[in-house]
Amino acid sequence: MIQKPNKKAFSELIEQYQAIIHKVTMVYANGRADREDLFQEICLQLWKSYPNFREEAKFSTWMYRVALNTAISNVRKEKRSLLFEPLRDNDRITEEGNDEKDKVKLLYRAISKLNRIDKAIILLWLEEKNYEEIASIMGTSKNNVSVKLVRIKRKLEELVLETVSQES
Amino acid sequence: MSNNDRYLKDMWNKAENLLGSSEYERSTIERFISKRSNSTAERIKKMIYVDIVVKSVVLLVLIIDMFLYLGTINVIAVCVTSMVLLTVLILFEFRMLKRFSEIVDYGKSTKEKLASMLTYLRSDFFSTLLVISIGYPFMFIGGTLLYFYTTYGYVRPLDGQDIIVFSTFIIAGLIFNFYINKKQVDYQVKHLETCLSELNDSSLQMVSDNLERQRKQDITNKILLFIVLAFGFVLLLVVFKNIGFLVH
Repeated sequence: MIQKPNKKAFSELIEQYQAIIHKVTMVYANGRADREDLFQEICLQLWKSYPNFREEAKFSTWMYRVALNTAISNVRKEKRSLLFEPLRDNDRITEEGNDEKDKVKLLYRAISKLNRIDKAIILLWLEEKNYEEIASIMGTSKNNVSVKLVRIKRKLEELVLETVSQES
Repeated sequence: MSNNDRYLKDMWNKAENLLGSSEYERSTIERFISKRSNSTAERIKKMIYVDIVVKSVVLLVLIIDMFLYLGTINVIAVCVTSMVLLTVLILFEFRMLKRFSEIVDYGKSTKEKLASMLTYLRSDFFSTLLVISIGYPFMFIGGTLLYFYTTYGYVRPLDGQDIIVFSTFIIAGLIFNFYINKKQVDYQVKHLETCLSELNDSSLQMVSDNLERQRKQDITNKILLFIVLAFGFVLLLVVFKNIGFLVH
């Protein structure tokens, strides 16, 4: 167990690693307001859980763990997400080539259709975490992760194709 | 790595570039961590804290009652019994809070986090609600004794109708509080069960094993709490009945 830093120092640490939280909120929340709410809740849980952080684990891995657990447990606005409003033009994606932007939107749209656990597993895989790390974060076996990933990737492919055909 | 895998990861990495690396400044993040959480766990924690404060206030009122009715043995007996029972309940709530702090650690693995929360909501949460609800009669006793003293200067005799009305209100309050809180967590329980079954088939079995283990560990504590409360309530009823019918 480590000593809790002051809020200022901790905020600086989160500022450095905030990309991790943004990725999680992009996958688990729709719309700017929901994303900000989730971002805030994750920051709070990181702050509260920090005294239990053991330094033998990587800070970024621990951050993924807290962020994903918060996103998965967060049921306050579940009703809205359960109805699944299609992902709107993402206000955080800057103006770039339309083709690139559309592909990214398509991927996020497909991921947002997965269940909460599958979202976490695919996000960790896309973040280049190996099976062992994913298994440790999720609390399951390597074998289960590998079986699940095969299924999720297949499902994701179907969802991308489905979304493309819906849009065309 | 297959072509599809590479394609997915490429798209993901592009998203990262399109997102940019930093949106919130340190001061905004500092403001975020100073706010209050809206999670179910935090709401339960707050509920226990508030109840400890309420029970402490009732304890204070009972101490005042004891001094106001100095010389009336029956009333003092009611106050002392109530104070002892309330202290037992407050201590039980502090124990719950300590256990709860371990449950709400978000740094655990997802399976552990979901399973521990589900185990709590399926078992200890009911004890928590029960302990909170049991506090209401003491609020009534403390408040009524204070009211009787300021209005009449003594404990007004209670007739059968008074007892029926008061107990109806207390029981209705207990049931209402229990039902509302239970309803609030039912959705959360369902959500946790869904997530755990999505994680893998054995996760829910883990919760059942936890529940069984906890049930065995807690049985002595629960029996003790039950004996203390049952004994206290019987004593309280006997003495309170005496005040209502015998003290003039």
